[in-house]
Amino acid sequence: MSWRGELNKLLSATYKNWIISKRNVFTVFELVFWPFIGLLSIGLLTRFLDVADDMVAFVLVGAIALSILQISQIDVAYILLFDLWSKSIKQTFVAPVRGYHLVLGAMLFGVARGSAVFIILAAASRYLFGFNFLAGGLIVVLIFLAGIFITAASIGMAVCISILLFGQRADVAAWSLSGIMMLVSGVYYPVSILPWPLQILSKSIPLTYFLEYYRFAYGYGSHQVLLGMALALLYFAASLLILNLAIERARTTGMMLRLSE
Amino acid sequence: MAALRAERICKSFRGLFKRKEVLHQVSLSIEEGEVFGILGPNGAGKTTLMSIFSTLIRPDDGKLEVLGFDALRDTHAVRERINISSGNPNFPWSLTVRENLNHSGMLYGLYGRDLARSVDEAISSFELEAHVDSKFETLSTGLKQRVSLAKSILNRPEILFLDEPTSGLDPEMAMKTRALIHRIYQEEKITVVLTTHYMPEAEELCDRIAFLREGKLIALGTPGELKRALKIGDRIFIDYEGEIDPMCLRIIPGVMDVRHSRGRVEVVFDRTEGTLGGIIRAFVGAEILDMGLEKPDLEDVFLELAR
Repeated sequence: MSWRGELNKLLSATYKNWIISKRNVFTVFELVFWPFIGLLSIGLLTRFLDVADDMVAFVLVGAIALSILQISQIDVAYILLFDLWSKSIKQTFVAPVRGYHLVLGAMLFGVARGSAVFIILAAASRYLFGFNFLAGGLIVVLIFLAGIFITAASIGMAVCISILLFGQRADVAAWSLSGIMMLVSGVYYPVSILPWPLQILSKSIPLTYFLEYYRFAYGYGSHQVLLGMALALLYFAASLLILNLAIERARTTGMMLRLSE
Repeated sequence: MAALRAERICKSFRGLFKRKEVLHQVSLSIEEGEVFGILGPNGAGKTTLMSIFSTLIRPDDGKLEVLGFDALRDTHAVRERINISSGNPNFPWSLTVRENLNHSGMLYGLYGRDLARSVDEAISSFELEAHVDSKFETLSTGLKQRVSLAKSILNRPEILFLDEPTSGLDPEMAMKTRALIHRIYQEEKITVVLTTHYMPEAEELCDRIAFLREGKLIALGTPGELKRALKIGDRIFIDYEGEIDPMCLRIIPGVMDVRHSRGRVEVVFDRTEGTLGGIIRAFVGAEILDMGLEKPDLEDVFLELAR
C-alpha cells in the first residue's frame, strides 16, 4: 500500500466527521453556542464577584480549555459513535484500517474544530473581558493547545474502548469523562483546594499540568509542563494500544456483530 | 488452488447463562474462481461463518487460510484483498450514496483518480446514478442493498462475500444482480462466496454448495451431487386405466420410490439410461391417460437437509 493510500485511510475518518458535522445543525451549538454561553456565564460571574484581573484570567483559561477538550474528545469518540448510531460499525472494521488510521484522522478534525473554538473564545474573551490570550506568547498557546488535543484524543479513545468492551450503553461515557476531568484537574479552581485523594488523582491527569502552564504565563503558580506532556503522550500511546486490543476482543466476543445489529 | 481453506472452525457466543455454540468444526475448501453458496435455515450459522471468513470476527478454534494468507494472523493482508456485502446493510445515515462510497473507498486506501473511477463504476454497475446525492437514511431497502453491493466491488476484491445479496431487491434488480455476480466471476475471475435463502438463485449461481444446520456442515457438493446423494430424483406421475403391477416398477434399475393409488402412480427415479423407458413399458397392458415429469430443485434438497 502506497503512502497516499495509507494517508487516505487516515483521512477517511476526517472526511466522515467533516461531512456529518457540516450537515448537522447541532455542530453550530457544539462550536459556538455552548462554548460561548459557558465563557460568558463564567466571565459575568467574575464581574459579579469583582475578582482581580489575574483571577479572571485564571477562570477564563479553564473555561476555554474545557470547551476545547470537550469538542476535540468527542470528535475522536465519533470514530465509533457515528457508526454505532447508524449501526454500520462492521463496514469500518471489515476494511483494512488500523486503530491509528481512525484515531489520527478523527483527531485531525478534532484539532481543526478545537482550534476554531479556541479562536472564537479567545476573541470573545478579549472583547468582552479584556483577556489577552497571547500574553505568554504564541509558543505557550501552541503547547497548551497541543497538550489539550493529545489529552482529548486519549479521552475519545477511552470512550471507544468502553463501547467495544461494554456495548452500546457505554456511549454515556462520551459525556461523562470530560466532566470528571473538570472536577479534578482544576479547571475553575486550583487543585490545592481539593481533598488530598483528589489532589493525587489530579496529578495523574495531563490537563492539570497544561492549565498550570498556561496560567503561569499570567503570573499564577508554577508549572511542570514537560511532565504533563510526557503523561499525555504516555496515555495517548497506551490508549491506542488498548483500543487495538479492544477491537480484537470485540472480534472475539462477537461484540462487533452485535454493535451492527 | 484453494482461495479459502477452513479447518475445524468453531465459534460460540456467551449468553446470559451459558455459551451458545454457533459453529461446530466446520471444514471446507473454496476453489479460486468458484461461486460457492452457503445455505441453511435461520440460525444455522451462515452469517457467523461469513463474518469469520471476512475476518470481521475471530473463531474460537480452527484454522483459516484465505488467498494463501493465515487469515487469523495476516488479517490486514486478507482485508486488502476481499470485500463483503451484508444483508440488511447500514452505512452512516447522513452521508449520501456517493459520500458513503467515497468514504468506503478511502477505508480501502483508494485515492485520487482510482477512487473516483472505482466509485463511478460501482454507481454505474448498480444503477445508482439517480440516487448519488440521496442520503442513505432516505433510501429504500432495495437501494440500500445496491449501495452495499456497489461498495463491495470498490477495491476489486479477489474474494467477494455476499450475505443475502438479493434480499430486498425487486425481481428485476435481483435478476440484474445475479447477472452481475455471474459476470464478475466469469470476466474477472473473482471468487464469490454467498449466502441465500432463495434456492433458484443458489442453483443458478453456485458451482458448489455447503449446507449448514445448527452450526454443523451437513452436506457439501454441486447441486447435482447433493441431489444424487440425498436420492432426490426426478419424479414422474402417470394416470392410467387398466391393470398394472406396481411391484414391476420397483425392480427397474434407477427407480428409487414408487407410490401407487387408484389410477395413479408416482415414481421417483434417478435419470439413468433406460429407466424412463422401463417405467413406460410397465404400462403396456394399460391405457395412459396423463403423465408429467417433475425435476427436483435445490428447494427439495434444502427441505430434505433442513429436516
